[in-house]
Amino acid sequence: MSNQRARQLLDQINTLAPSNPFKIMNVCGGHERTINLAGLRSLLPGHIELIPGPGCPVCICPEETIAMAIAIALNEPVVVVTFGDMLHVPINTARGEPRSLEQARAAGANIHPIASPLEARTIALRHPTQQVVFFMAGFETTSAPTAALIAEGIPDNLLLLLAARRTWPAVAQLLNRDQAGFDALIAPGHVSAVMGSDEWRFVAERHQRPVAVAGFDAASLLAAICSVTQQAINGEATLVNSYPAVVTPSGNRHAQHLIDQTFTTVDSRWRGIGTIPASGYALKKKYRLHDAHIHFSKYSAQSHHKDEMPPGCDCAKVILGKEPPDHCPLYGTACTPSNPVGPCMVSDEGACRIWWSSGLHKQRRAKQA
Amino acid sequence: MQITEIDGDLASCHSGGITRTVNLFIFERGVLKPGDYVLVHVGYAIQKIDPEAAQLAWETEREMQGAIRGDPNA
Ligand code: SF4
Repeated sequence: MSNQRARQLLDQINTLAPSNPFKIMNVCGGHERTINLAGLRSLLPGHIELIPGPGCPVCICPEETIAMAIAIALNEPVVVVTFGDMLHVPINTARGEPRSLEQARAAGANIHPIASPLEARTIALRHPTQQVVFFMAGFETTSAPTAALIAEGIPDNLLLLLAARRTWPAVAQLLNRDQAGFDALIAPGHVSAVMGSDEWRFVAERHQRPVAVAGFDAASLLAAICSVTQQAINGEATLVNSYPAVVTPSGNRHAQHLIDQTFTTVDSRWRGIGTIPASGYALKKKYRLHDAHIHFSKYSAQSHHKDEMPPGCDCAKVILGKEPPDHCPLYGTACTPSNPVGPCMVSDEGACRIWWSSGLHKQRRAKQA
Repeated sequence: MQITEIDGDLASCHSGGITRTVNLFIFERGVLKPGDYVLVHVGYAIQKIDPEAAQLAWETEREMQGAIRGDPNA
């Protein structure tokens, strides 16, 4: 059914003809992956351009927080646990100093990759005499489970180094600029499952841009693309839910309640972008004994990081949707998944890595040949 | 994933031959039942899946497309 539906939607999109080039941004690594795996860019009419935006929490995690995690891991008798792709994210450091958590681990620091916040608790319970620091970078989909981990009963020896970010304020920041760089938005399915599709209503109502929430199969994405394109042709801008099996207008209220009980909303830095108002979560005061930002604040004070990307890396432009990954001069030359220069080539949700894994390096090589 | 069994805040779920223990703490107790489908992220069920809503949306969409094209069988 899904294939039949996808074909029908493609046919329909191909009959639509926006008068100008029409740029549709997505803000989710999962969407970008489906777009690449299904080859949607080559199937759509040429005037419809799909742009990856800020959809990778690891890519925008501030350098100073990564530097702090490295310093804590190297200097304190702790175990640092973090999601696997964070281990390899490079930061700018003085020559000879570890540039990533992986290099800190090679230098003797006790660092473990995990796949779930539940593993952080298991490790903390297994090492009751040792402090365990869970360095968490994620959007709302991971913030809710992290809030659950805390609310369910956090072990005394488990601390959190949070780099939790909210998705919609980054989109609002782009829209508040003179040139947002996109005409319509595909809103993230899993973030909307937790927070509700209504969170994206502002895109249509305040900024007059069509917006559709999409799931992660090609048919759901095509339904969203079809919807926003049709809206633009009709001169309309509304919010459409193309992922109704999972997304409701109000989302998972209990998840939002857990987030509200556990975190406060704070202005936060995004690597390569800068500070975005109300775009992050910090632990509430009642959990300050578990807050690694407070407990190890001396390492934050020492940080001189400016949250820049590595020299020559265009990740900031890629994240802001100003440039596709293969326009970066280092893409596929100095920067590959086995030797990443910037965070967008490290994370599974980074646009450079997704493009490369889908075979887009071959085109680049062919162009160079 | 589909829930097969619930024990407190933990559920045994399966999908495509894989069985996993999933944490249900992000839902109030009693909201989820065996047989329900859930979206799982980093070990937690984060939202309930409603397959009927998907089917209904697809049928409505098809009817609308048929209506636009004047297809009497839509
Ligand atoms: S290809 Fe590498 S260097 Fe270029 S933007 Fe992507 S991550 Fe940065």
